[in-house]
Amino acid sequence: ACVYVAMGDTELEVSSSQQEELQKSPSASSTSTTSSLSLPSSPSSGPRPLTSSSPSASEGLSTSSPPLDVISEGVGELSLVIDTEVAKKACQEVLQKVKLLKGEGQSTLVTTKPGLVNGTRHIGSSDRDSRRLCTSQKIGEEEAPSDTVKSARRRQNNNSSKQSWLLRLFESKLFDISMAISYLYNSKEPGVQAYIGNRLFSFRYEDVDFYLPQLLNMYIHMDEDVGDAIKPYVVHRCRQSINFSLQCAWLLGAYSSDMHISTQRHSRGTKLRKVILSDELKPAGQRARREALQPPPPCHHGQGMGEHGLSPSKRTHQRSKSDATVTISLSSNLKRTASNPKVESSQDEDMSSSSDSLKLEAGTLLSIVSLAKDVISYALEKPKEGLLIVFLNTVKIKPVRLTPQREFIKSLMGIGKRLATLPTKEQKTQRLISELSLLNHKLPARVWLPTAAFDHHVVRVPHTQAVVLNSKDKAPYLIYVEVLDCENFETSSVPVRIPETRIRSTRSVENLPDCGITPDQRASSFSTVPNYDNDDEAWSVDDIGELQVELPEIHTNSCDNISQFSVDSITSQESKEPIFIAAGDIRRRLSEQLAHTPTTFKKDPEDPSAVALKEPWQEKVRRIREASPYGHLPNWRLLSVIVKCGDDLRQELLAFQVLKQLQSIWEQERVPLWIKPYKILVISSDSGMIEPVVNAVSIHQVKKQSQLSLLDYFLQEHGNYTTEAFLTAQRNFVQSCAGYCLICYLLQVKDRHNGNILLDSEGHIIHIDFGFILSSSPRNLGFETSAFKLTNEFVDVMGGQDGDMFNYYKMLMLQGLIAARKHMEKVIQIVEIMQQGSQLPCFHGSSTIRNLKERFHMSLTEEQLQVLVEQMVDGSMRSITTKLYDGFQYLTNGIM
Amino acid sequence: MAQEKKAGLLRRTSSSKKPLKEKVVLMYDEIFTKDDPAKTNPRFWDELFLMKVNLEYLEGKLESLDGDEVMVVKDNINSLFHHCVLALEEEHQIKVVNALQTLCALFRGVHQKNKSATGFDIINMLVGFDKAELRMKDLMESLDSLLCGDGSESLKSLCLKLLLCLVTVTDNISQNTILEYVMINSIFEAILQIVSDVSSRGQHGYDAVVLLALLVNYRKYESVNPYIVKLSIVDDEPTLDGLGMVVHQALTEYNRQYKNKEEENHGGFFSTLTSMVGNMFIADTEEKLSVQTNEAILLALYEAVHLNRNFITVLAQSHPEIEMTAAPVTPIPTTPTSLGTTPPSLDMMHNPELPLDPNLQTSNLLITFLKYSSIVMQDTKGNFPIAILNEHRLNSARLCLIILTCIAEDQYADAFLHDDNMNFRVNLHRMPMRHRKKAADKTIPSRPLVCAVLDLMVEFIVTHMMKEFPMDLYMRCVQIIHKLICYQKKCRIRLHYTWRELWSALINLLKFLLSNETTLLAKHNIFQLALQVVSLFNMFITYGDTFLPTPSSYDELYYEIVRMHQVFDNLYCMVLRVSTNVGQWKEPASKVTYALVNVRAIINHFNPKIESYAAVNHISQLSEDQVLEVVRSNYDTLTLKLQDGLDQFERYSEQPKETAFFKELVRSISVNVRKNVSLNTLSQDVLLKEFSSIS
Repeated sequence: ACVYVAMGDTELEVSSSQQEELQKSPSASSTSTTSSLSLPSSPSSGPRPLTSSSPSASEGLSTSSPPLDVISEGVGELSLVIDTEVAKKACQEVLQKVKLLKGEGQSTLVTTKPGLVNGTRHIGSSDRDSRRLCTSQKIGEEEAPSDTVKSARRRQNNNSSKQSWLLRLFESKLFDISMAISYLYNSKEPGVQAYIGNRLFSFRYEDVDFYLPQLLNMYIHMDEDVGDAIKPYVVHRCRQSINFSLQCAWLLGAYSSDMHISTQRHSRGTKLRKVILSDELKPAGQRARREALQPPPPCHHGQGMGEHGLSPSKRTHQRSKSDATVTISLSSNLKRTASNPKVESSQDEDMSSSSDSLKLEAGTLLSIVSLAKDVISYALEKPKEGLLIVFLNTVKIKPVRLTPQREFIKSLMGIGKRLATLPTKEQKTQRLISELSLLNHKLPARVWLPTAAFDHHVVRVPHTQAVVLNSKDKAPYLIYVEVLDCENFETSSVPVRIPETRIRSTRSVENLPDCGITPDQRASSFSTVPNYDNDDEAWSVDDIGELQVELPEIHTNSCDNISQFSVDSITSQESKEPIFIAAGDIRRRLSEQLAHTPTTFKKDPEDPSAVALKEPWQEKVRRIREASPYGHLPNWRLLSVIVKCGDDLRQELLAFQVLKQLQSIWEQERVPLWIKPYKILVISSDSGMIEPVVNAVSIHQVKKQSQLSLLDYFLQEHGNYTTEAFLTAQRNFVQSCAGYCLICYLLQVKDRHNGNILLDSEGHIIHIDFGFILSSSPRNLGFETSAFKLTNEFVDVMGGQDGDMFNYYKMLMLQGLIAARKHMEKVIQIVEIMQQGSQLPCFHGSSTIRNLKERFHMSLTEEQLQVLVEQMVDGSMRSITTKLYDGFQYLTNGIM
Repeated sequence: MAQEKKAGLLRRTSSSKKPLKEKVVLMYDEIFTKDDPAKTNPRFWDELFLMKVNLEYLEGKLESLDGDEVMVVKDNINSLFHHCVLALEEEHQIKVVNALQTLCALFRGVHQKNKSATGFDIINMLVGFDKAELRMKDLMESLDSLLCGDGSESLKSLCLKLLLCLVTVTDNISQNTILEYVMINSIFEAILQIVSDVSSRGQHGYDAVVLLALLVNYRKYESVNPYIVKLSIVDDEPTLDGLGMVVHQALTEYNRQYKNKEEENHGGFFSTLTSMVGNMFIADTEEKLSVQTNEAILLALYEAVHLNRNFITVLAQSHPEIEMTAAPVTPIPTTPTSLGTTPPSLDMMHNPELPLDPNLQTSNLLITFLKYSSIVMQDTKGNFPIAILNEHRLNSARLCLIILTCIAEDQYADAFLHDDNMNFRVNLHRMPMRHRKKAADKTIPSRPLVCAVLDLMVEFIVTHMMKEFPMDLYMRCVQIIHKLICYQKKCRIRLHYTWRELWSALINLLKFLLSNETTLLAKHNIFQLALQVVSLFNMFITYGDTFLPTPSSYDELYYEIVRMHQVFDNLYCMVLRVSTNVGQWKEPASKVTYALVNVRAIINHFNPKIESYAAVNHISQLSEDQVLEVVRSNYDTLTLKLQDGLDQFERYSEQPKETAFFKELVRSISVNVRKNVSLNTLSQDVLLKEFSSIS
């Protein structure tokens, strides 16, 4: 990291020196930038030709490369598959270019510049792009090879003496995504920006994804060069992944929203968003074709196809699973189609017109293609009229890649909006449950929870488990979502729907005599068809059998028992031993079992989430899994998500990034601070989703439900002072408390009432709700002036002010602060980039970043820092404003 | 219109003297001759279907035929039928309308005449035996495409009317041989389509569901009915939901009407007066009527619950949308007043905008059904003595309990009944009684749905101890409770329910059985019921640890038993007496004797302890807490006997036990539907008149 800081300084040197040179040049600075642009931008076309998979670097440049604009429109039908290897090569090329430039920068700048500058003047700034393109193309086609050769020569000539620090940095292993982002943001040098734009391809996706908000915010709000550098990467990733596409689209929308409406409409961010949402950025054709050849997914069409059950005759028709499904549903619909095509078409209309409902059918083009294959093969086997109609009707459903997921998100948001109109929590909860059960009808589908870290399909929402969260006017709610793990949610087949009641249709279908199918036999004679079996045996008997109760000759048994009871009246031969039980045992078991169940919260209609959140996650998973028709599948998983509608989560996202960054810094520096960054999904500037912290309830809920002090609650939950469990919980508490105190201080997190601090089952505290950070605080009342929230209750849990744990707490804070200070740039960078073009309240005023930097106290010695920590802890503990604020919250919102 | 009709009637009556007849009547007359009417007039059939149908005349004509005449005109009737079927294909919708009505008259007329004739004869007379298969196939296909097509809604309505007419021409649906063709040429899918589509469901849902319920019952026990088969395997949620919604709306409508009436009755002087005046006209027939027609809907609900496992999910499916948005747009969509077989509802005037009652917003079929059941099971019509359940109410109540039995047996249903997250306030109808305050208007807490079911059962138990003892209903009621408790025991669900109310209701029931032993024994096997009740207590006593909510609830159980020990003592004496005598009740009574062993052990164990406690502490009357204290401290010396099969029950099966009931029920529904269809067909002309002027 020391190296990093050093490099940072050098970089500044380089750029400043360049600027000096530019200042010296006679022309205006803008044009001079242009002039220098013309050369280095040529490499930016680097990554494109390499997609035509030209292995040699020099040839790669010489092939006619599609100009930048093609990509930016997003309509280019280039079949680009960029793998990292190729991308790396491209980077190397560009790096050479940059080296060349540097070489020239020193040697040729003086001579070449005036001529070029003169040239640009005539063309004018509006044509800059095209001109540059022409130039770049020209260079790409003709000059590049010679350039490379020249540069190679030059490099040898100049050798290391002239090589800049920057180049060495870019080539070094230390150059990571964080630095890349930093240079992209700070460098005014288009060559560098373009280089980094290409370098993005060589980073791991996860690493880049972390900085996606930064990248996109830069794309939206910074100058074109930065945008041009970023765009190819974004477009490339969008082509590859639906998830990435949607994330981009959402973020672009959200971060564009602060612009003035008129500029917003024409901004590049909005344009890119449109391109993504229009789904033009599809994977290239060959890829789709390749996938189409994969085994066809069993397309289970809830409405369109497999409507009226399965016909028994087809049931025995053994083919591949998917095949069978298709033929069955087709044949059962044949009659309908023949007699009145309306059935099919109306259902199609229904599907396509209902905008609020999910379009399950819109799985992918793939399923339709494979379906088509099936249908045709089936039609060839058994030519029947009506098949084609079915087929055509099916094909009418145009699957759109992004649609299912967008509709899914849209319906979740719609629910939130409607809930907000209802007055009481109880009504909200009931409504939520019923809305979700309707949503279930459209599942499974090719939809997923973006907050999850693995590929999956959502198969069911256990609607009765959903709860409304505490919020005064908005209606955020928490849902649990059952998903099935899959290899790739874009290409893996969507799971087949299993009805809620888990009926095993095989039995009832196969047992039924097929009357609908062979009417001719019956029509010929009026004699009664033999009664196959009475109806309850055929289809009303419960297949599950779990609760099925066989009557083990109950009557004879009781007769036996009577004989035992009244021996004198009836003589018994085969008497069984009577079982005696003690009433005391029953009573004892009852109280024991109740005592053994983990402490639960009582139901409170005003706080429905308390009970749901208190239930241990594993317990909940087990319970939901048992009740789910999909629970038996090995790849079943349970996820949960908070849906927020009407809330801006951009600050939350920013806080998440900072927390995540600090977490990894502390991990790297081996400081055992514990924090829990929870994932945030920004969908628009007023909606989004949050990954809930499991096994955690708010301190408010703890206190209200248990009516205990925090320490007593710890004792109740974890055991006595000396127990292992208590000590572990206490340590967890201290480590998390120290972590969050630092976070709260550094980010100036406000609104710290007990409803915003969670306590998990292991004793960690977790701060949530970062609505007031950095420069903003609630209504600016001036409450919460202390560095962070540290109440006496917290100190009590740590064992009092004189305890070892309390010292440990302060020590942790010091270590944490020192570690954070060491990597300050990484933290600042995240915040600083997001400030671009932002109207978020946390950036209010001009000194946000400066103040943030100051809170790292770069100038203090470690001893001084220790004093600072002591002061802050002391001040926070004694802070009257903390108490005031808690009191204020209790009075106004009833938060304890 | 009505006047015109009257004029027509007048003219016809006078026509016996003067041969001044409508043209259509003349044409009918031509049909009822030996000769082919088309011979003289090749355009005869074309013209006929352009004329407005005179249903009464046509039906009357058919009815008046005697045996020989039938044979003479058979060819012409066959031909009329044939041309009706052909006319259904016509583009000219007037012809289609007239053809449908003519068919209606044909079916009805022929059956009226030939009540005793075999189905084959009727088919022969109507269609002609040789061509029947083909003609009926054509007819069904035409109806099917009319029902599913884009055509006018009143045409669809007429089609359903015709089908209802056809299905109900005989009292016993299974004797309606012509339905064999409806079995072969299934219109099941058409019915489902109507039900699943939002707009058509609104207009025709009721008729379609009634039709389905009836068709399912055609020769249910003798042959394989494709409608049963198909209904049992439907798994398309929108369709099942649609079916549920029709039932939901019909029941909601009934509940609403009932509530309105009740409010009227409890209103001030003025409203009492108006309702008195109103009652003079509406009379009780209407009240009965509405209950009767709801039997058809209840039957449909039963068939869906019983046959289709997927339908269970629909019960819990809340319908936030209908009540909030859809309903005001199309007021009472399921009860089309002019067309429906539905009872004449209190129509628009009494149907103001659905109030934004917060309790109304989210409801589900099960809740509505429970409310409905609570009304049907109680008869609070002030006019009747409380005790009298008329036959229809009895049938409805029985059907409600059967449906609840099916629900209580279904694991999925149990799961959502007991789901702690699905809490609802269910306002059951409670009968005002002398010894309890009217409803007390305490706000019902929001609880899992099973609490409402239990409440309903408790309510039934306490309100039906009367001379005309509904033994069968009591059995079902206690069995439902038993099934629910079995589920709770199995799944270890600790329901926070005031079990005490149930216990005291059951004990009171035993008390009633004892005090009316002689009268009741004349008609019923009361030991069976007593055994069930005692078994329930045994469930609580021996398995209470698995499902009771708190240890103190177990104490309360003992308290209640000890407190009411007299009842158990008397019961024991009674069953002991009967079981020692020789007679038909010997065995059932001895079963009860055995079942009472634990209860008696408890009483014999605690009573002396309580008495000695009182003696030691010199208290004459122990308080509840004191008794509970004694109970708590003396458990350990009490030994109980585990009894077999307590948590087992016989599963519900329609055959053979319920066959007779359903046959009778379907018969009464058939008669009722037929009556309503015929009543309304006339007013249908109004609509058709409009229709003809438009087209």
